Amino acid sequence: MSELLQLGSVNQRPQPPKREELTLRFSDAAVKELDALRTHYPEEKACVLPGLWIAQREYGGFLDGEALAEVAYRLDRSYAEVEGVATFYSMYNTAHRPGRHKIEVCTCLSCHVNGAYRVWDYLKSKLGVGHGETTADGEFMLEEVECLDACDRAPVIQVGDQYYGPVDDAYMDRLLDELRASPVNTVVQMADSIVAVQVTGPEREAAHR
Amino acid sequence: MGEYKLLLEHSHDPAYATLAGYQAKGGYAALKKALGMERQAIIDEVKASGLRGRGGAGFPTWIKWNGIPKDKKGKHYLICNADEGEPGTFKDKQLMETTPFLLIEGMTIAGFATQGDAGYIYIRGEFVDAAKALRKAIDEAYAAGLLGKNILGSGYDFDLYIHLGAGSYECGEESALMSSLMGERGMPRLKFPHVPLPTISGVWDRPTVINNVETYTCAPFIINNGGNWYASLGASTKNSRGTKIFSVSGHVNKPGNYEIEFGTSLMDLLEMAGGMKGGALKACVPGGSSVPIMNAQQCDGAIIGYEEMAEAGSMVGSGGCMFLNEHTCIVTFIWRTAQFYANESCGKCTPCREGTKWLLQIMERIRSGGGRSGDIELLQEVCSQIDGRSFCGLGDAAAWPVAGAIKVFRDEFEYFIEHGRSIVQSAESARMLPESPVVAVS
Repeated sequence: MSELLQLGSVNQRPQPPKREELTLRFSDAAVKELDALRTHYPEEKACVLPGLWIAQREYGGFLDGEALAEVAYRLDRSYAEVEGVATFYSMYNTAHRPGRHKIEVCTCLSCHVNGAYRVWDYLKSKLGVGHGETTADGEFMLEEVECLDACDRAPVIQVGDQYYGPVDDAYMDRLLDELRASPVNTVVQMADSIVAVQVTGPEREAAHR
Repeated sequence: MGEYKLLLEHSHDPAYATLAGYQAKGGYAALKKALGMERQAIIDEVKASGLRGRGGAGFPTWIKWNGIPKDKKGKHYLICNADEGEPGTFKDKQLMETTPFLLIEGMTIAGFATQGDAGYIYIRGEFVDAAKALRKAIDEAYAAGLLGKNILGSGYDFDLYIHLGAGSYECGEESALMSSLMGERGMPRLKFPHVPLPTISGVWDRPTVINNVETYTCAPFIINNGGNWYASLGASTKNSRGTKIFSVSGHVNKPGNYEIEFGTSLMDLLEMAGGMKGGALKACVPGGSSVPIMNAQQCDGAIIGYEEMAEAGSMVGSGGCMFLNEHTCIVTFIWRTAQFYANESCGKCTPCREGTKWLLQIMERIRSGGGRSGDIELLQEVCSQIDGRSFCGLGDAAAWPVAGAIKVFRDEFEYFIEHGRSIVQSAESARMLPESPVVAVS
């Protein structure tokens, strides 16, 4: 092999854990939910997206290399494939560790013409963070997002599985206080809600018995 | 003409989202009737109804259903495209939240007509409330024998599953949606005539019917009242039948979903939504962000129908109707539209991946005051290089709003480039402006 080709051989990216070194962290309920989901599709591969949602819940809202590796292991896919899928979708947290609450501010068309950028400015200065950043206390992650499809409530924001709108500065003050006081991690809660709607009621009950 | 509530008639009644409440309003009569009909007779009713796909393309629904092989040799699948992501559209969300059984019954009818084994409702990840309402409804339907094995003693088996997306506009494109459902990145696939239609080889290479939420929810009404009755709605238009839900937003007093009969005028729709807020009507994007923008003159007298809207210079699209008042800077609005498509391009094909970024860079240059003479022609050139050359419709959808706005509001672009600022200067317009550039422009 020529030297030129060898230049790229030093891999600086963090390596995913090897299969034999993997610590599996899915709970019993998660394993049962994944088993139930397998029966919904003719091919196990279709469980990659739902499996990533389960992982996002089980790993506290952030899909790090270990989480992706566990999904790959459980669904018998390669790590690269699962990582490729996870990074395509904006709702999987693969790039930044979110805080306890992810504040998603829509600035798309209807929100834009209804003053969403002023809400965005206000939140940036109030929280002291920008797009994709988390506050130092780990409470809030701020994200500017594309259309949430709730244009009748523009300007609208999403936190966890809830929509809020129309919002203004005073509304955001109240909401941030409420979220800070709440014991719930809405990022994890949202992932759990998404898992829950994909399995049937009886499947969910059996998994969490 | 005013509202014509067919799909949304009971949407304000919380009981309608329960099986008992739904049946009390005549729910499931259509499925009972359909299960006693010949499969082809159901498809013929849908043909007579003139129903066209409500997701944006307006493709005749019966052709999809009829394209499924009649001699079944393996599994047949149904998909409901509930990946509503078009800016300005929020009708499917309301339909799923308030009338989940209409969708379930409609899909079961479509499943029976096409010998479907299983259906998948692909919902965008953000719509948890809609998915919860459907989950509850599907569980109820299973418990009542309206889904699962031997539905209503007919011998027909049909399973219905919910699958959530995870944040990607591109997954609303049907082949990308199928990729995503199969566990892949949501990228589009080769299309007919290069490969067979989804009705022959769709998801998991099996015959697949894929329709929008609103399309499926029309089916119970067509079976109950007959295709001819449905076709009598909107008969004043060239080739648009039935009702259509428009999600009205922007600068209106009462934003929301309004269901109208085809043939209603655009100005009537504006009146239903409480008229303009904060200033006179300047522009309208009638069918979601992808369709060309119209000025007030075009809006006046525009009739809502697939062909009629094309004559008026735009499209029905998915029904995401945004009205903009006189304080709106069209250049900034189009810049924001360009940013949306640049963000959402999946990256598969060069015209769209590169073209959407170029459009955004040029728009950003103009918007931040550094527009150059010749930028308008450059935008048009890039648009023409994307339109019709991208792998799927996202590229076209990115080009149309820019090219359309230049056609109708060219003076605003020229003014912005020449003076380095918007033609619109008011406190109200300043409220809409983004403070700082979002992308670096070289």
